[in-house]
Amino acid sequence: MADYDAIVVGAGLAGSTAAYCMAKAGLSVLLLERGDTAGVKNVTGGRLYGHSLEKVIPGFAQEAPVERKIVRERVSMMTEDSCFTADFHTPSRFDDASCASYTVLRAEFDAWLASKAEEAGCDLVSPAHADDLLRENGKIIGIKGGEDELTAEVVLLADGVNSLLGQKAGLKKELSPHHVAVGAKEILELPKGVINDRFGLNDGEGMANLFAGFPSAGMVGGGFLYTNKESLCLGLVITVADMSKSAVRLPDLLEKFREHPAVKPLVAGAKLVEYSAHLVPEGGLAMLPALSADNLLLLGDAAGLCMNLGYTVRGMDLAVASGHLAAQTVIEAKEKGDFSNNVLAGYKSRLEQSFVLKDMRTHKNAPHFIEHTPRMFSEYPALAADVFTQLFKVDGTPSRLMLKKALPLVSKVGFLNLIKDGLKGSRAL
Amino acid sequence: MKKIAVCYKWVLNDADIRVNEKSRDLDVEKSKPQINEYDRNGLATGVMLKESAGAAELVGVTCGADTEPSAKDALSRGPDVVYYLSDPALAQADSTASSKVLAAMIRSLGDVDVVICSECSSDEYAQQVGPRLAALLGWPSVSYVSAVSVNGDTLTLDRKLEEGTETVTVKAPVVIVVSPDVCDAPIPGVKQILSAKKKPSHALTLAGIGLSAETVKPLAAVQSVKAPLTSRKAVNLMADGESVAEAVAKLVKQLSTEGVL
Repeated sequence: MADYDAIVVGAGLAGSTAAYCMAKAGLSVLLLERGDTAGVKNVTGGRLYGHSLEKVIPGFAQEAPVERKIVRERVSMMTEDSCFTADFHTPSRFDDASCASYTVLRAEFDAWLASKAEEAGCDLVSPAHADDLLRENGKIIGIKGGEDELTAEVVLLADGVNSLLGQKAGLKKELSPHHVAVGAKEILELPKGVINDRFGLNDGEGMANLFAGFPSAGMVGGGFLYTNKESLCLGLVITVADMSKSAVRLPDLLEKFREHPAVKPLVAGAKLVEYSAHLVPEGGLAMLPALSADNLLLLGDAAGLCMNLGYTVRGMDLAVASGHLAAQTVIEAKEKGDFSNNVLAGYKSRLEQSFVLKDMRTHKNAPHFIEHTPRMFSEYPALAADVFTQLFKVDGTPSRLMLKKALPLVSKVGFLNLIKDGLKGSRAL
Repeated sequence: MKKIAVCYKWVLNDADIRVNEKSRDLDVEKSKPQINEYDRNGLATGVMLKESAGAAELVGVTCGADTEPSAKDALSRGPDVVYYLSDPALAQADSTASSKVLAAMIRSLGDVDVVICSECSSDEYAQQVGPRLAALLGWPSVSYVSAVSVNGDTLTLDRKLEEGTETVTVKAPVVIVVSPDVCDAPIPGVKQILSAKKKPSHALTLAGIGLSAETVKPLAAVQSVKAPLTSRKAVNLMADGESVAEAVAKLVKQLSTEGVL
């Protein structure tokens, strides 16, 4: 008789959601977290799309420690001395819980979600190490952590982007530099009222701003700025492949980004209270590992479930959904008394039928497009800056028609390139 | 031996205490309580001593304003049972009050042969409770203990002193105050944490041990706690293209004005 029906490794969003759903269905669940408390080891840029958690805990945002609900979306193209921003403000269109998104701080949010799982009846242990899978005649029967051996019918690996246990289980390979990005982020403290004033927000309302160009110094990646209740998250994400060739270190790039003339006044007077960095899986479908094996499932970042389209970056809503669907699969396995891959493979089918793999499939060319269109990160931001400079520059020299102003600039990049990238981009993103 | 008791304090994690730069007040909002780091070695000593003495029971004992949440953590570190006393009257408890309450708690438990304390708590660092507790119980007190062995009801203790190591033998009942180097305090494993959930813990009350809020009132009232102020002065040298000689002269002048030279 195993100690538990299920052991979940990692109390991030995927792990805690799975543990919550399984415990609620009456399964005996052990949830292990490496950090002192859930969330302390996790890093997010800042935004959770709420739809998938809404399905698990309806109305979660009423009780969960969310920071602000996003009502203002900004996308910026930045050069060293300019910044072109598209600003979309709508307090109503994304108001419904089914499509609302929130800024969150993981140390608080994950601790809350893990406590929900604990309330539902699962055993939560943190800090706890799961060093290896426990096997008997080749069959996975639990996990080993330090001197402890704990047994379960099924092990759910939600142990993050590196997922050493997933590698040990042979489900996934070591990460390739092309499949991951590295993110660095500062949390900058500012009074609530100052944030409201600077970003044109009311209490509880938030802004999300993604930046292309200058922040990543032309490398594949970008910057972000999110508003929390009383702090800002300012950060960068750049592919490891590019970063490993860069002469400038990531923290220095972040420093330059913070000092940029368009960013500096937004963060003026803020106090740096936290600095963190993390790997982000960005390979899309190309890096999708085997998601299940006998007595084993792979969830969230560990399964590489993440999408970066440049204008939206998603990982947490996919993680929550993967936890939800993994739990459904385990509950079915428990009913059938069969924890082999015959039943557990149903997890992948569930992901296929859900938005998770559908969206990743729809946008399967995005990682390739983004990585192979370096113009997005250098020439286009510069082009935007030049076009707007021509447009708004009044210096007494004879003016020309808009088209004549723009044409020579565009031809510098190349019409064909622009059309090609535009077409490819709109097909991939 | 029957019972070995380990005293521990439930303190705020000082790593997360922040200072309000204007008022210099301490902001403890982000700081979660934890078992005093020094007491973790005390609990580990208890585990080791229980085993080598073949004692029947290892007991964790604590008191403070809100100590109930400490029981689970303490139990994962070895005790068979925890007795905690939570009373708002102990929010400002000084060493006098704490040792009074702990002594009364230990008396009420009965059959305690050895009380283990650690040198100090990370919040007050008064280094008083162990010896005071021994005085109140009327038991011998052995401090600076860096090694413990036991034979029947006799303990052999190494005391690490400035001049060298003193070895003493003492008969139970006794209060021993251990140094952090007495033994390692391992982080509890998953099974220990899980088994802690099944172990018992009991709440005691001031009235139940024959005390009242009045008798544990601190003798000295704390008016305020402020963080120290460190003042730094930045002197910019050679910023305006001044020569090395000019910069040196400026620096020497500045340092003598400040009274450094």
